[in-house]
Amino acid sequence: MTDDDVYWALIDVANGLISGTMLGGYYAIIAIGLTLTFGVMRLVNLAHGDWLVFSAYLSLVFLSLVPISPLYTLIGVVPVMYGVGYALQRLLLNRVSVQAMEQKGMSTSFGLMSPILVTFGMSIVLAQGLLAGFSSNTQVIRNELSYSAIQLSEDLSVSTLRLTFFCVAVAILVLTALLLRATHVGRAIRAASDDAEIAPLMGMRPARIYATASGISLAIAGVAGVMVGMTRPFQPFDGPQFLLVAFGVVILGGMGSLAGSLVGGILLGVVQILAGTYFGPSAQLVGGYMLILAVLALKPQGLFAR
Amino acid sequence: MSISGPDADTPLLAVSGLSAYYGELRALYDVTLSVRTGEVLSIIGANGAGKSTLLKSIVGMMNRGAAAHIQGDIEFAGRRIAGRATEDIVDAGITMVPEGRRLFARMSVEENLAAGAFLPRCRAGLRQRMDEIYALFPKLHERREQVVAQMSGGEQQMVAIGRALMSSPRLILFDELSLGLAPAVIEEIYRKVRTIHEQGVTCIIIEQDMRRALSVADRVCVMLEGSIVLSGRPAELSEAAITAAYFGQTHR
Ligand SMILES: Nc1ncnc2c1ncn2[C@@H]1O[C@H](COP(=O)(O)OP(=O)(O)OP(=O)(O)O)[C@@H](O)[C@H]1O
Ligand SMILES: [Mg+2]
Repeated sequence: MTDDDVYWALIDVANGLISGTMLGGYYAIIAIGLTLTFGVMRLVNLAHGDWLVFSAYLSLVFLSLVPISPLYTLIGVVPVMYGVGYALQRLLLNRVSVQAMEQKGMSTSFGLMSPILVTFGMSIVLAQGLLAGFSSNTQVIRNELSYSAIQLSEDLSVSTLRLTFFCVAVAILVLTALLLRATHVGRAIRAASDDAEIAPLMGMRPARIYATASGISLAIAGVAGVMVGMTRPFQPFDGPQFLLVAFGVVILGGMGSLAGSLVGGILLGVVQILAGTYFGPSAQLVGGYMLILAVLALKPQGLFAR
Repeated sequence: MSISGPDADTPLLAVSGLSAYYGELRALYDVTLSVRTGEVLSIIGANGAGKSTLLKSIVGMMNRGAAAHIQGDIEFAGRRIAGRATEDIVDAGITMVPEGRRLFARMSVEENLAAGAFLPRCRAGLRQRMDEIYALFPKLHERREQVVAQMSGGEQQMVAIGRALMSSPRLILFDELSLGLAPAVIEEIYRKVRTIHEQGVTCIIIEQDMRRALSVADRVCVMLEGSIVLSGRPAELSEAAITAAYFGQTHR
């Protein structure tokens, strides 16, 4: 092996680590909405990926109304998605929760099944709605960031868009952690997730707390959706593949852990990119799934579960 | 006890004809009870007598549709609270230290206390109230950063009491105050409860230890199979009568 070969081998690894890490930040954002609602109300929202795609379309709609840079559509997308999440939880999901079903005299297993069925149905309705509204043509949110890159050395570079997203992802994680730690609402969310029966004794209203948590979850999905739309073409039926990514991250990082989402996301991203580099593009997905399977087999509670 | 003012005769809490159900299962039968401002009432009774159910009914935790419901009337400070949501009842000034403490296990002592001050009316004075609670339980101040899951039973009970006090209640319901605690710790907890009472908080205490229940209380109720079968001032009740009521033996 010549010095040149060693150099290029190192460059490959370094590039894999950099792009994998960047990809991981974006995966983390896809996952934290899901992990938040699960952590707080044991609700697995099967429509999470579809809401993400919905947000990408929402961004397109805003762009067709006002010609701004796509990132600014977040100013509209985030509050709208917060409202959607809040309303959905308040008007629909709170009514099919385990507690609600118990109050209606239904069995616990019925209570556990019904949110899964409802969000599964929601996923279908959303995708069909997007199909009806926007046709099955692939769409893309055009932006100037995707064409630029920051040169780290002669042979190492990082896409400006990916780097921006990574920073946004870290910022969102930090903000969410701060919200949960240091505010009354955050404390209420954690209290209700610990013991929903006792939280009302503190004056907390679980129905509102759950709605707030769902609002935050979908607001974050909104950010992820805009990121997705700026990175790659999307279609109405793309939701489930993002749900899968989110599940993968959550399996790696552990359900309900914010830091775990970031580390899980980065791990998944790096493994996918490196597998792609060494074994060809088709190995990217396979590599990711093999990692997930390995973790499921060896440490099913996730690498960072508390 | 001297209570001044025109409302001296209105009880702080008045429960009348209260029945409680878990689904089809009836846990309380026509319970009538009243507590005056400044009183300490202790409730004793065998396992399954309905003591916890009575307290849960008062704080609105039995309003769960098909899963649990109540009939009858509960008034607090002259207002009807039966059927209202727990959050509203707590806002009105009642709180409970639940059986088994039920702390937020992954939070620190300080976060548990702060959680107790969630109500908008409590938020402004949170810091000051917390300092008052640290003054009452200096140990909690030393341990304020500790995660409660790692604390001893006695310390956890103090956190539970402190958390309840954060909402500045007028009436506190203590469910199984001393269960599973060492005698010295029980002594300490009861000293604190006496202080809380001296600060003007009315108390209802569920206590398994009959002697202790009699010694702290202004009035004692004995529950049996969902009913109050005996009540009165400790001095007026003979130990034999209480024991008989507790075990459901007919006497007289
Ligand atoms: N969540 C519940 N669902 C169904 N039945 C219940 C429930 N909680 C209590 N019960 C029943 O209601 C009755 C009264 O129970 P409760 O817990 O009020 O008794 P207790 O006097 O507090 O007993 P202990 O001394 O064991 O705490 C019992 O027969 C009990 O089995
Ligand atoms: Mg009990």
